[in-house]
Amino acid sequence: MIASAHASAGGAAASSGLPQFEPSVFGSQIFWTVVSFFLLMMLLKKYVLPAIINILDSRASRISDDLQKAEQARKEGERLLTNYQGQLVAARQVAAQTLEEARQESARQRDQALEELNKELAKKKNAALIEIEQAKQKAMEEVRGAAVELSMLVAEKLIVQSIGQDNARRMVDEAVKQLGESPRLH
Amino acid sequence: MDFALIAAAHAQTAQQAANAAPKMDPLHHFQVVNYINIAPLGFDISISNSVLWMWIVVAVVFGLFRYALRNPSLVPGRMQSVAEAGYLFVDNMINEIIGHEGKKFFPIVFTLFFFVLFCNWTGLIPGSFTVTSQLIVTGTLALAIFVFCIFLGAYHHGWKFLGFFVPHGLPPALLPLMVPIEIISFLARPVSLSVRLFANMTAGHTVLGVLFFFTATMAWFGAWLPFGFTVVFTGMEIFIGFIQAYIFTILTCVYINDSLHMH
Repeated sequence: MIASAHASAGGAAASSGLPQFEPSVFGSQIFWTVVSFFLLMMLLKKYVLPAIINILDSRASRISDDLQKAEQARKEGERLLTNYQGQLVAARQVAAQTLEEARQESARQRDQALEELNKELAKKKNAALIEIEQAKQKAMEEVRGAAVELSMLVAEKLIVQSIGQDNARRMVDEAVKQLGESPRLH
Repeated sequence: MDFALIAAAHAQTAQQAANAAPKMDPLHHFQVVNYINIAPLGFDISISNSVLWMWIVVAVVFGLFRYALRNPSLVPGRMQSVAEAGYLFVDNMINEIIGHEGKKFFPIVFTLFFFVLFCNWTGLIPGSFTVTSQLIVTGTLALAIFVFCIFLGAYHHGWKFLGFFVPHGLPPALLPLMVPIEIISFLARPVSLSVRLFANMTAGHTVLGVLFFFTATMAWFGAWLPFGFTVVFTGMEIFIGFIQAYIFTILTCVYINDSLHMH
């Protein structure tokens, strides 16, 4: 067998056409093809494929994790957005309400002040009216007193010195005139 | 007499010139040379250039994958991307053809693809040896796949696996014609599988050998043409090396699928 291998190596190619059809080298090639193939398969199976599967799996899980996290973040963002929008609406309502209240309060205060002022004015007016009335009464009393005094005076004069009717009338007129002017001067 | 002598002398010089001229031997590349003869118990396991390059292929494939995965990271580097792409390429092939059950054949298919691919590619290195240009190598692989598929079919279907040779929905009258055809086409599988790869590799390297011979022997002003062709054809051979490895592997998947599911 060794000898035939030598012979084929020597240059049998020329006689048998393609060197691939030289049967003397078949045995070792069959053997080593099988051995090489299974050796490579064992090596790849043990040292290469697990590494690739491992890295691919971990990347796949990482990506799906990241996607999940992104989805969660998106939901969280949406939640926050609606939350803030709600808060914004509430804040606007509160502001509007506060404004309205302030407006009402100021109107109320203004009305109150006006009312108080009116009351005050009415009170003062009443007081003034009363005072006027009192002054009037006082004046009337004074007039009455003066009239009595005058009539007493007239009577006295009539009694003391007789006077004529014309004189008396003139004197009374004078007196009345005096009286009529005196309170106004007063 | 003079004339005859001169003619004889001419013939002799022509013969000498022919002997001195470089001989074209594009098949030299396929010559298996035993380096170390080993034959325990008469069984020849000699180490030849073919065997040496099988070992180199095993080392290169394993070394490249180990190098690519020396520190695997979630964000892959270039080599790691290529290794992962190789994995996914074979994974897709199995998923598409065999389906989910194909997972358990992954190591075989994966190894087969990269073994054949790198046998094809390392053969393009000048001075190397193309393992897949040896019919006995491709034949061994194809026959092993064939036998494996028969056992797989027998394991999964028992005697029903013989129904593989009876096409569905055929009028019974045609059975005597169709069953032998099916059997022949089934038996032709390892032949076509192995011869396709072997012939492609042999033809490609023979063409390259012829072109290189012309490049080496032609005058400088003519040599650039065959040399340019060798460049183009080497690129072509890289592509063919991939395509043939792909075909070899995908047909293996098809055969495995047939054994699992019949058709």
